[in-house]
Amino acid sequence: MNLLIGLAMGLNLVALASSRLPSVIRAAAFQGMILGTLPWLLEEDFHWMVVAVGLGTVMVKGFIIPNLLRRALRAANIDREVEPLLGFVPSLLLGAMATVGAAALPNELPLLHGHAQTLLVPGAFATVVCGFILLIARTKAISQVCGYLILENGIYLFGLLLINTTPLLVEAGILLDLTVAIFVIGIIVDRIQREFDTLDTRKLNTLRE
Amino acid sequence: MTTALEILLKLAAWLLLAPLLPGIINKVKAWVAGRRGPPVLQLYYDLAKLWHKGVVLSTAVSPAHVIGPAMAWVAIAGAALLLPVGQTGASFAFRGDALLFVYLLAFARFCIALAALDTGSAFEGMGVAREVSYAVLAEAAIITALLTLCVQSGTVSLATMLAPSAGAGAALLAAGLFGVLLAENCRVPFDDPNTHLELTMVHEVMVLDHSGPPLAAILHGASLKLLLFAVLLTEAVLPLGKLSLLPAIGVLVGSAMVVAIAVGLVESLLARLAFRRVPLLLTTSFLLCLFALLVAWKGGTP
Amino acid sequence: MTPGWLLLLAGAGLAAGIFSAFKSPRLWLVTTLIGAGAAFAAAVLMLASGVTWDWRPGFVIGGEALHLQLDGLSAFFLVLLSVLGGAGTLYSSEYWSDKAHPDSAPAGRAWWNALLLNMGCVLLCANGLHFLIVWEIFTVCAYFLITRERQRPATRAAGWLYLASSHVAMIFLFAFFALLAARTGSWELGPMRGHPELAPLFWLALIGFGLKAGIFPMHIWLPSAHANAPSHVSAILSGMAIKMGIYGLVRFTGWLPVPPSAGWVVAALGVTSAVLGVAFALGQHDLKRLLAYHSVENIGIILIGLGFAMIAVSHGNAAWGQLALAGGLLHVWNHGLFKALLFLGAGSVLHATGTREMSRLGGLWRAMPWTASLFALGATAIAGLPPLNGFVSEWLVYLGLFDAVSGRGHAAIAAIVAAMALGVTGALALACFVKVCGVVFLGLPRHEIAPHVHECGWRMRLPMLVIGVACVVIGLAPILFWPALATAAAAWQPELANSIPPAPLVTLGAFHLALAALVILAAAFLWRRVRRNGLSRAGTWDCGYAAPTARMQYTAGSFAGIITGWFDWILRPQRHEQPPGGNFPARAGFEEHTPETVLEKIIEPAGSLVLRLSLAVRHLQHGRVQSYIFYLLLGLAALAILAVMGGAK
Repeated sequence: MNLLIGLAMGLNLVALASSRLPSVIRAAAFQGMILGTLPWLLEEDFHWMVVAVGLGTVMVKGFIIPNLLRRALRAANIDREVEPLLGFVPSLLLGAMATVGAAALPNELPLLHGHAQTLLVPGAFATVVCGFILLIARTKAISQVCGYLILENGIYLFGLLLINTTPLLVEAGILLDLTVAIFVIGIIVDRIQREFDTLDTRKLNTLRE
Repeated sequence: MTTALEILLKLAAWLLLAPLLPGIINKVKAWVAGRRGPPVLQLYYDLAKLWHKGVVLSTAVSPAHVIGPAMAWVAIAGAALLLPVGQTGASFAFRGDALLFVYLLAFARFCIALAALDTGSAFEGMGVAREVSYAVLAEAAIITALLTLCVQSGTVSLATMLAPSAGAGAALLAAGLFGVLLAENCRVPFDDPNTHLELTMVHEVMVLDHSGPPLAAILHGASLKLLLFAVLLTEAVLPLGKLSLLPAIGVLVGSAMVVAIAVGLVESLLARLAFRRVPLLLTTSFLLCLFALLVAWKGGTP
Repeated sequence: MTPGWLLLLAGAGLAAGIFSAFKSPRLWLVTTLIGAGAAFAAAVLMLASGVTWDWRPGFVIGGEALHLQLDGLSAFFLVLLSVLGGAGTLYSSEYWSDKAHPDSAPAGRAWWNALLLNMGCVLLCANGLHFLIVWEIFTVCAYFLITRERQRPATRAAGWLYLASSHVAMIFLFAFFALLAARTGSWELGPMRGHPELAPLFWLALIGFGLKAGIFPMHIWLPSAHANAPSHVSAILSGMAIKMGIYGLVRFTGWLPVPPSAGWVVAALGVTSAVLGVAFALGQHDLKRLLAYHSVENIGIILIGLGFAMIAVSHGNAAWGQLALAGGLLHVWNHGLFKALLFLGAGSVLHATGTREMSRLGGLWRAMPWTASLFALGATAIAGLPPLNGFVSEWLVYLGLFDAVSGRGHAAIAAIVAAMALGVTGALALACFVKVCGVVFLGLPRHEIAPHVHECGWRMRLPMLVIGVACVVIGLAPILFWPALATAAAAWQPELANSIPPAPLVTLGAFHLALAALVILAAAFLWRRVRRNGLSRAGTWDCGYAAPTARMQYTAGSFAGIITGWFDWILRPQRHEQPPGGNFPARAGFEEHTPETVLEKIIEPAGSLVLRLSLAVRHLQHGRVQSYIFYLLLGLAALAILAVMGGAK
């Protein structure tokens, strides 16, 4: 399980380092799929709800959302370059610092003994911070969506800590929120594209009033 | 007396085996491309030919153009003496020799770079500028790798640092060191040893104006450096310290072959990166080593 | 002779030099060299015997009894001072001769001796008041030496900046010594580790001495002062004067208790100075400015060693602290030596060509083979490459850091960061010195420089040769210098002293020796082989281009372009581009200038803010008596309010 979370942490950095939108989407999707399988490993006793949630997560995060994004990409004819505000190497280094910092964090927090042993907490922190970096440092709307996705993955990891108490409600709520958000963004992206011929968020600030 | 003999024997083995690696890499590349390719011993023939050839020197050069390659070659050979082989250890081993190893390679780079700048050619200037700039990142990665081994083993001597396996972070460390190997030895995706366009070369463009014996020294030094990195990578990952001499040599030879094949495959399957993406890849190597360090750190705390 | 008599002789020689400087340059040369030699002998005698020389003659100066002391630490720095002083003296007799500079040379000689004398006195003084006095005189002497060419505006500006920042440092030192005297009740200096209440004074000392040492970001005065001073002065400034700041830090962290975070702060400052110093150096086009930034880098390396030694002391004298301290102290010597060598070499280039602009130079090895080879030697040393001295000290620091890492104590994380930074610094310094050597000495001349480019005379060559030999000797036989290091370390912190040299130092020396011998052998062998195989000459390969010119060579700026691109965020280079345009481009241009970011982006705006505020305050004063009386009333009212509020409690 730690291996999987480690892999997810690696995917954060891949997303930060890639210069093409499709590979960012792919990293986010793959990360979502990995995290979707985690509940199966985490839960000792086999329960159909857990299986369903895991399956749902994998489907939604691994296939539906990425496909929507790719379709938006195609429909809106967006250039596939990422156009960073902050260069790839600095954002990569920042992400790595966040990861290292997150790995050092559990020693400082009052965690349950079982949780302190796993990478769950560091992974969640690192993923959240990397999602934020992606949100802050990229200009395109699509990469912002990917940033949200990664951010949500981090929150989901935190949610896994509570899997034994109130798992499904939280997760389902978040997932629902996100799906709606993606739909909304997809539609808005489409509209904006038709209206303004650009998806660069730097140029979308004329409507700020 | 026996120790002197032993050192000489070891040195001879290093020097004689080194030119095999580029031959194997080229064979693999030819095999993937469906060609027959040059013989595995091609570099030996080339070196022998170059050694007997006359030299054409640029009118601009100083003696450093000839002296530089000689000094670089000595430095790389000296670094070879520091690497341990199995249980018998290195020819020279002391606390802190790991750092001497890194800095000897840096000294070799310094000499070659000055010998290249000596010609006053803009191409050579370009190549040297790239070489020394990328070396900054590679150096960070390799120091991090050494720190990882230091955390792992608790010592600063190559013999004991390389003896145990790299533990949980071995895969990360291996990937990071492999990246450094590709960069430091100017292989694809950092540099293309076969390119014929001066503007895109790094290492090859530095030796454009060298000929005859100095070129032979540079080529041999480069192959030796490749072998050094292959052995370092192997020893960092596998627990060779427990093996006695013969099995250790066997494992080393086998893994050097594996590294060479891997390099050949990478060269056949990947394209060279755009120059502005090279720092990113080197940073990735550095981060891999850094995460290996993190894993070693976490793993070691009781 | 005892150290006392030798020091007296040294003082007498230097003082006699001051008086003969105007009348007889020859007599000045002889007396100054005798003085430097005597100081060297005294310091070596002390380091060899390990016996502290302590002298209280009973004179009273300024109300305080004179107290001079030559212990391990002062002797350690005195060795460097006397070597560099002697070398600079001989060098300047040709470099800044009466013939070339009839106006400034005689006074320059007098100030030079005064500088050496007062730096020596700083090292010897064991009384706070006297320390302050000689420190101030030494600072002022350096100012007059920096502004030797005062007809040039750049020099005047550099001198002014130096003087201003030195006096800011002086304010902090005044505060430091005054508070120290007030707390202890006497101006006498000495070990006072038993008074923990003195610990906060460390911060005052750090700023005061740090400004002198040129720690980043307190280095603002350093580049322009070093670049515009005559080269022998740059050599002593960089080699010794900034080391006085280090001496102050080492001295008072040894004598006084320090706050628990002091070591961490010093190490962090060291890491910052090392990496950013070399990054700024890469952006420079002026040979001497570039060398000046390398001083910032090397001060950083020294501070890493010192900082980790302090951390080790606060964690129960861990053994790795001893290695870090030894590395830091040895780097004081090493940096003094190779930086002086490089500045003297740069001086020869300046002397011969009249320009410090690297992009105008090139191919100087033909005319100046001695300078070129000695400069290359210095470059190898400063880049920290084996088998020279720079590597030995960096290696000791590294060893300390790696031991701290493997010990997994509190300092391990910091040591990991510092070791990585040190590695990056080393690689950057290598890049920078490849650039300097390649652009200045190799290739072809980029511009038609004056046709009379010549090798310097023996009086400039000999000092460089002596310093170069010293670099080689420390590199090849580091073990010989361990006793000196141990004595100095004992004076700093007795628990950290270890007279038994670490065993790997012997092996390292042997390896270096073998390496040096083999390098020379291999070079000779290859050279003979080349001659035997037959040698022919042709033009450099230019990709088939028919009309190459020397202007096509890579310049300093283009060489460093990749790395300065990485550090754009702090270097903030100013570029003026005129790209080629049209089908037949006529003119194109590119100009790049790396400013002193800290000075221009932080200090100068802050200064102008203060100035503007002060101007605003000046409106209060317009000469009308009525308003002054009004101010008085306001003041009284404020006092009254304060008193009432105080009384209410």
